[in-house]
Amino acid sequence: MMLNDLFSKWRGTKKSSSQTAKQRLQCAIVYDNLEVTDDVLISLKSDIIDVLSKYFKIDSKAISLDIERSKDSSALVLNTPILSTIRR
Amino acid sequence: MEGKVIVITSGKGGVGKTTATASIGAALAREGKKVAVVDMDIGLRNLDVVMGLENRVVFNIVDIVRNKCRINQAAIRDRRIDNLFLIPASQSDNKDSITPEEMVTVCKEFRKEFDFTLMDCPAGIERGFENAVAGADEAVVVCTPEISSVRDADRIIGLLYAKKITPKLIVNRIIPSMVERGDMLSHEDVVDVLSVDLIGLVEMDDQVIVSTNTGSPLVMNKESKAGVAFSRIAMRLNGQPDLPVEIPRSHEGFFKKMGRKIGMRK
Repeated sequence: MMLNDLFSKWRGTKKSSSQTAKQRLQCAIVYDNLEVTDDVLISLKSDIIDVLSKYFKIDSKAISLDIERSKDSSALVLNTPILSTIRR
Repeated sequence: MEGKVIVITSGKGGVGKTTATASIGAALAREGKKVAVVDMDIGLRNLDVVMGLENRVVFNIVDIVRNKCRINQAAIRDRRIDNLFLIPASQSDNKDSITPEEMVTVCKEFRKEFDFTLMDCPAGIERGFENAVAGADEAVVVCTPEISSVRDADRIIGLLYAKKITPKLIVNRIIPSMVERGDMLSHEDVVDVLSVDLIGLVEMDDQVIVSTNTGSPLVMNKESKAGVAFSRIAMRLNGQPDLPVEIPRSHEGFFKKMGRKIGMRK
């Protein structure tokens, strides 16, 4: 075991627990900062409806806005049926 | 000249806010400043016992806010250190007993009477935190080199920025031998993650518990490494911002260190 430790130290392959801690911490903080409250989502949704309504006729009740999270990314997903475009 | 109100906060509980407040307050008073340390942990007061002044509590911060007494009636003078005063928290009220707006008003009074007013903030980010921060000019965030504490510090720092306060950081309870072994986050790691300015590094020190046991000021104990570190933090707050931050080092022997470097020791 000791010999093993010795080799891994020399090869520099062994990660110290503080390095692990730092990485986990950075991930946790990034994740924390990505958290969006429902209030923000609701007001964002109403702003988006306003903008979209300038160009399309949409059903504002059918619009869905969500945050989808995968292992290493976070995406804002908007789904809305378009009834028609507004010709200008 | 008007004094400064500094809040000492952390987010997480048990990282050493109260010890830091008592020690920095005592050190500032020893430098000749008139200092008030205010226990904002309403309902769970502790600064009084840490400072050894628990037998002399008459009025408290809630009484001041409600105009039941004046600041100088509630302030308990420390008999060992001139110019050091404690404003205790109330034990029977709760955090909702006062409002941030009321604290802003009270802080104006504190600025008139004291050179430095240190607010010992309760743990958490709710009303108690809001009350403690409301009237503050500056903030000191205390964290330990642990994941949970640093994460909470990050949250607190965000909230302070939102209030237009740029906080300074104390990394407390550093165990140098563990840092050197790679088993504890170093202060560089912590600063890297939080990206704030350091105001001091404090080593883990048994003397903190000893001085809390007896209620005697840590900074009067010259043997205490933590006491010395807190005194230096006080000097940085008191017009010497460029005083170098000393990095705690272990005092392991040369051979032990070398042994570990080449992997012969853990």
